[in-house]
Amino acid sequence: MSSEFDNLYREVILDHYKNPRGHGVIEGADVEAEGQNPLCGDEVSIFVSFDGDRIEDVKFRGRGCAISQASTSMLMELVKGRTAEEVAGMSKDELLDEVGIPLTPVRLKCALLGLGVLKLALHKGKGTALPEEWAGLAQDLELK
Amino acid sequence: MIRKVTVGRTTWNELPHKFEAGTAPIAEAVGLGAAIDYLSEIGLDAIERYERDLLDYALPKLEAAEGVRVFGPSADRRAGIVSFEVEGAHPHDVAQVLDWEGVAVRAGHHCNQPLMAKLGVPATSRASFYLYTVPEEIDRFVAGVEKARKVFS
Repeated sequence: MSSEFDNLYREVILDHYKNPRGHGVIEGADVEAEGQNPLCGDEVSIFVSFDGDRIEDVKFRGRGCAISQASTSMLMELVKGRTAEEVAGMSKDELLDEVGIPLTPVRLKCALLGLGVLKLALHKGKGTALPEEWAGLAQDLELK
Repeated sequence: MIRKVTVGRTTWNELPHKFEAGTAPIAEAVGLGAAIDYLSEIGLDAIERYERDLLDYALPKLEAAEGVRVFGPSADRRAGIVSFEVEGAHPHDVAQVLDWEGVAVRAGHHCNQPLMAKLGVPATSRASFYLYTVPEEIDRFVAGVEKARKVFS
């Protein structure tokens, strides 16, 4: 089991799960969005405050499996300081490379929940486009 | 099933046959018969007693495990099934760790989201025992649960 275990729950995943970065709420955030994966009950809410077009601060709260929470935590580090437009165009692979573990289709949705919610928040806050590939996912993940 | 088909007209068979197209599930019917014979030979009372013994073996071990919360009534009022949560670990992660230990459990909201809300949990893990379960497997199960808690909390 150890190699399979190390593959999925590698140290950095467990570290982000137990000590999530950017965890919390931004009072008076410019925009917030939330989403859940009804299959698992994973939930993520994301709060964003902007400085012009730039993401000045971003935080999340949520509950769910280690993969969903760790990947959202990693996402917070990836996007802070970048422009809304840049992050709206960010590919899934950029986050998945960071997560860096092989994922089954079900677990893939866990890993992408945070990114879906963030893109929705940027869409709500800055009118950035929601890529077509997210349309189906947005339904699956009950984004709002 | 049809009664007669021509190019211009289809006549369906009478009920229930019109809804029973194709080969009847013969293998399944024979299999069901064999399963009934098998269970009757062992005896349903004996199976229930064995399930209860497994529960009496498993429940105290699980309840004694650190950071484990067991849901549901006392052993005398349940079937061979136990839902639980592990402190700090999402049920899907618990199930994943148990899977690697060779133990298959169900994890999720079990088609019962309102109950999950009432219990204040996103989901639970759920193990079930039956006549083919042996106590050593329960030991492995409990050890796996303890391992999951150590990993995630």
